[in-house]
Amino acid sequence: MAVAAYGQLNVEGLPSWGSRSVDCFEKLEQIGEGTYGQVYMAREITTGEIVALKKIRMDNEKEGFPITAIREIKILKKLHHENVIKLKEIVTSQGPEADEQGKQDGNKYNSNIYMVFEYMDHDLTGLSDRPGLRFTIPQIKCYMKQLLTGLHYCHVNQVLHRDIKGSNLLIDNEGTLKLADFGLARSFSNDHNGNLTNRVITLWYRPPELLLGATKYGPAVDMWSVGCIFAELLHGKPILPGKNEPEQLNKIFELCGSPDEINWPGVSKIPWYNKFKPTRQMKKRVRQVFQHFDRHALDLLEKMLSLDPSQRISAKDALDAEYFWTDPLPCDPKSLPKYESSHEFQTKKKRQQQRQNEEMAKRQKLQHPQQHTRLPPIQQTGQSHPPPHWAGPSNSYPPPVSSGPTHHQYGKPRGPPGGGPSRYPPSGNPSGGYYPDRGSQGGGYTTGSYPPQGRGQPYPGGASGYAAGPPNYSQGGQYGGSGNSRGPNPIGGNRTQQYGWPQ
Amino acid sequence: MLAGGDDTQLCRPELSEAEPTPRVLTILSFVLEKLVARNDQLTGQPPDGLGSVSARFGKTLNGFHGVREPSISIAKYLERIYKFTNCSPSCFVVGFVYIDRVVHRHPESLVVSLNVHRLLVTSVMVASKMLDDVHYNNAFYARVGGITNVELNKLELELLFLLDFGVTVSSRVFESYCLHLEKEMLWNNIGTAQKVERPITSNCVGDETEICADLEDSQSSSPPQI
Repeated sequence: MAVAAYGQLNVEGLPSWGSRSVDCFEKLEQIGEGTYGQVYMAREITTGEIVALKKIRMDNEKEGFPITAIREIKILKKLHHENVIKLKEIVTSQGPEADEQGKQDGNKYNSNIYMVFEYMDHDLTGLSDRPGLRFTIPQIKCYMKQLLTGLHYCHVNQVLHRDIKGSNLLIDNEGTLKLADFGLARSFSNDHNGNLTNRVITLWYRPPELLLGATKYGPAVDMWSVGCIFAELLHGKPILPGKNEPEQLNKIFELCGSPDEINWPGVSKIPWYNKFKPTRQMKKRVRQVFQHFDRHALDLLEKMLSLDPSQRISAKDALDAEYFWTDPLPCDPKSLPKYESSHEFQTKKKRQQQRQNEEMAKRQKLQHPQQHTRLPPIQQTGQSHPPPHWAGPSNSYPPPVSSGPTHHQYGKPRGPPGGGPSRYPPSGNPSGGYYPDRGSQGGGYTTGSYPPQGRGQPYPGGASGYAAGPPNYSQGGQYGGSGNSRGPNPIGGNRTQQYGWPQ
Repeated sequence: MLAGGDDTQLCRPELSEAEPTPRVLTILSFVLEKLVARNDQLTGQPPDGLGSVSARFGKTLNGFHGVREPSISIAKYLERIYKFTNCSPSCFVVGFVYIDRVVHRHPESLVVSLNVHRLLVTSVMVASKMLDDVHYNNAFYARVGGITNVELNKLELELLFLLDFGVTVSSRVFESYCLHLEKEMLWNNIGTAQKVERPITSNCVGDETEICADLEDSQSSSPPQI
């Protein structure tokens, strides 16, 4: 896969967006949900093409069109790359209150707005969450290479993604990986002299400089997230599952060593360094913790998980790493197995269903112990499924779980029921890449040291005093959402056990 | 991005009254008044309402048309927006870029005295959303602009669609519009050579500051022709 050409431009003429109605599409099923709308799988009626429709909820009258949506549209409009999700068009639908003022042309503006994306079958988290499924090395190399290629393209086009994580990496059944959810993305200038908000990136994937309060940063923030994902793919579970910022920093220091002026010149000048600097010296333990990784993987991982962002490897250099050029080589995406559709939204639903079934089974078992010979509950939600046709290097596959038609219950509250195991880091953005789920699963900012706002700088107090209320922050509180009952241990360590596989 | 981090700009409007109006407002209102006067003449004087204007010049800007010409002048209206919303002066340049883009995209559309006010409040608001870290919401802009929240939301969407969501303004394009505005001043002998405020090189606080070197804008970097 060639590295993106610098400054690639889309010169083809596009039809004017917003000119078509959502009625051109037939909604098939919901595949994701966010705080400001749902994501549907849909079929374009005339062409039969399957697409993803991401609804932009317009019910906050005071705010008008959500700024994150403007931002995402604006950025996706200029990015055109095989490894970046394609925004096909914007369509509208007539809202229920349309025409209230009797304007003949006004319908569009009282309506729902949908972003139309190409449809992707999976997201990386949903895929890797399949019970028992372990990616092969060529497969991991293949995904990593695509991730780095897409990210390199963003970076040369001066776009920081700022929310790289598994559920924002979409994968289709051709094995192609695409970066999605640019709701937190922004343009940057190479001089790094802008003050940017440090309240971005899902906690587990957030680099130390942001946790320490840096407001001048660049593409290296995305590369830290890539390092976390890389290690997660090889390790089989998230490597830095902190529950809050201080714990996250601590986990980073325990793995990567404590920062000082020697390994990270300038670190002591970062705003919150003195507040969060470790009390004791810690040694770098990346090679010990991940000694089961191969040498080239470790070399690359170490460069991605460099504490000092200026020493962190760039996407371009990472693509040149030995790792991608030594045996086993990255496989051809098209040779990858085709899995049935899996989005985190759906796998989570299935897990919920599964837990309910288990509960029910347990209760039944208590009442009727003799019934334990019945089929395990997994069989009720799944269907038999042929093994994946996998042509890559041999690797014994566990039986695939079917994600065929399930009983979706969209009315139900999202998220794991209290205490249930969850993969989601606090204060994250845990939804699938089509649609952020900002805030609804928050609860991360438990320490007093962090301002409660979403992105944006703390508001300069002197400016308030207008009768109409203070200036607003775009999507304020995005990451400072309310608490959510969540298991104390969000690590998916016992992921496979959740499914109650027949022994 | 509050111009140059000037503290007085964070104060209540009463306190900032003493401070001079940014030059960009003067230039912009001059340029727009000239444009509107010319277009009003084209559409027939006096402007006789929505029907005849749209009949002759398409419906692109229909949403922005008022029933009759507002009594407040363009200059006073711009001043009002600036005074109450404290948006950065750059928002006016970017708002002007948006209006110019709409006109270029839809050549049949004309900025006239019936729609210029709504066009201005909407485009400055969208510009502020894109540029300023701290900005007022649509409800506040609606009050400042003298239209309802519902209408402003509609106009915001309408503007975004007319722009085809092309809301990025690169520093190159920004600079070319500043130069254009300055030239207008010189040619028309309004005051001496004045510079438009350009607080974009530093002090770009926060996410909403999106003016930076872009690789796009191929279609919209044409110098403004008014």
